[in-house]
Amino acid sequence: MKTVLKSVALAAGLMLAAQPVMAAAPQAKTLEQLLQQVQKDRLSDGKINKEREQEFLSERADKQALLSKAKRDLADEQARGKKLEAQFSDNEKTLAELEEKLTLAVGNMGEMFGVVRQVAGDANSRFQTSIISAQYPGRDKEMSELAQSKELPEMPQLEDLWFALQKEMTASGEVVKFPATVTTTSGEKKQMEVTRVGTFNLMNDKEFLVYNAEAGGISELSRQPESYITDSVADYAKNKSGYSALFVDPSRGTILTLMTQKVTLLERYNQGGTVGYIITGVLGLGLLIVLERLFVLGGISAAIRKQLKSDTPSDNNPLGRILKVYENNRNVDVETLELKLDEAILKETPRIERGVAIIKVLAAVAPLLGLLGTVTGMIATFQSITLFGTGDPKIMAGGISTALVTTVLGLVAALPLIFLHSIVYSRSQSLIHLIEEQATGLIAEHAEKESK
Amino acid sequence: MMLFLIELWESVRDFMNTGGIVLYWLALVLCIMWVLMIERYMYVTSAFPKLAKEVVGKWDAREDTTSWYAHRIREAWISQANEQLNARMQLIKTLVAVCPLMGLLGTVTGMVHVFEIMANTGTGNPRLMASGISMATVPTMAGMVAALSGVFFSSRLEAKVKVASHRLVDSMPHH
Repeated sequence: MKTVLKSVALAAGLMLAAQPVMAAAPQAKTLEQLLQQVQKDRLSDGKINKEREQEFLSERADKQALLSKAKRDLADEQARGKKLEAQFSDNEKTLAELEEKLTLAVGNMGEMFGVVRQVAGDANSRFQTSIISAQYPGRDKEMSELAQSKELPEMPQLEDLWFALQKEMTASGEVVKFPATVTTTSGEKKQMEVTRVGTFNLMNDKEFLVYNAEAGGISELSRQPESYITDSVADYAKNKSGYSALFVDPSRGTILTLMTQKVTLLERYNQGGTVGYIITGVLGLGLLIVLERLFVLGGISAAIRKQLKSDTPSDNNPLGRILKVYENNRNVDVETLELKLDEAILKETPRIERGVAIIKVLAAVAPLLGLLGTVTGMIATFQSITLFGTGDPKIMAGGISTALVTTVLGLVAALPLIFLHSIVYSRSQSLIHLIEEQATGLIAEHAEKESK
Repeated sequence: MMLFLIELWESVRDFMNTGGIVLYWLALVLCIMWVLMIERYMYVTSAFPKLAKEVVGKWDAREDTTSWYAHRIREAWISQANEQLNARMQLIKTLVAVCPLMGLLGTVTGMVHVFEIMANTGTGNPRLMASGISMATVPTMAGMVAALSGVFFSSRLEAKVKVASHRLVDSMPHH
């Protein structure tokens, strides 16, 4: 488009220039006049041509001189060009050499820079989680700046890195106390004295604390570990001189945090649910019966022992009552006496055997109840599987551990009941033997002694 | 010798650690069981014959051994002797029966442990679960071994007691 415009403008210009020439030429009126005019023009043209020719001829010598000068200049320039070319190639060579040197030098520096960045990055991540940062906050920021900077590190920065690393090393070997703000479990911030044991533990005068790397603060544990572990902290805090045993978390707080997830015994018991409570009820009932039985049987055997020593039969014990039957039927014949004695013995035995069988039943029922709890727990588990699928083992595991807790409870209830049943049973059996087999023997001995 | 004992103790402690707290209860039960069994064995072999001899001597010294009174007295003496002989036998039997139950208890607590770990950390780390599983299986085995060791000797003991009792009855004839 542009070129078209240009050419149009050029044509217009030419037209404008050409018109005055045509206008200037005087208009010939006749052929003769035209002839004369042509002749005249030819004469003047020839004159002009001659003048120009003259001019050219005179200028020719000058041009020759100019040409030879130009040729000389060319030769000069060519020589200079060659010289410069040689210089250029020389320079190129030195340039290449220097460049090589530069890459070598930069290579060493780059390696060092990389190492510095890596070390600073490592130190950054270590400082972030290290509990020493609770005492000296803000160290990780410097390290992360150094690790992420694109420029070569300056000398002071390198020294800072070195100093920070050595400080961490020294601090990891210390047991120090320092004041700090601690976030309590209720969320308020409190100023208190905190003891730091190397890189392992933070604690106040009676509890363990944890350093929260993300929040960058010290906080109380939502649940302290078992009391015998926590007591060692209190003992340590009270100790003014010498040594004191202390539980230390070698994983730098991870175990302590995991321990907060640990289920306490009571929580686990409550996982058992309704069946768990029923089992506890069974155990309680069984223990009550056992206590009652032991008390009653103890009383009976004490009374019988007393009776064995005295001659007069008393009414407060089975043996005494049986002896009384003999006293009342002194004069009857042996068969009648035996029948009467059997009757009296038969009357006594239920009182002694009472309740023993129930203990056994309860001991047998407790594991069965545990099984029931397991099955209901499994039903709950399968329900959660139908709802949520098997994707998350955590959901299932909760139900399964609930199911197992009832089994544990059933066994825990059954074991003491079995023991106690065997004790109560052998006691009652020895009493039964005494009145069934030995009471008549005693009467016989008595009768023999009297008859003599 | 000392070193050997220390090594033995170490291995026992390792075993106890893998099995958890139930193993200590099991060890206690086993200990009581064996003490009772040894005590019974010693009684049957050394103390009871003396008692039997005494009773038999008393019986032989009697003039009247055939009347109703004599029968009752004989029964009473035998019953008293049996009472001595059978003391704590019931407890031994119970302890033997309880051993596998305790093993079962250990198994279940171990499984609870496993599932608790699963609930906390997922199934990603089988190594964590393995400790719970060994806690579940070791007590079962220990309970079985304890029960087996008890079953054999307690049944032997029971037979011995029965024989001693029968012998006493037989050695008190009506003359």
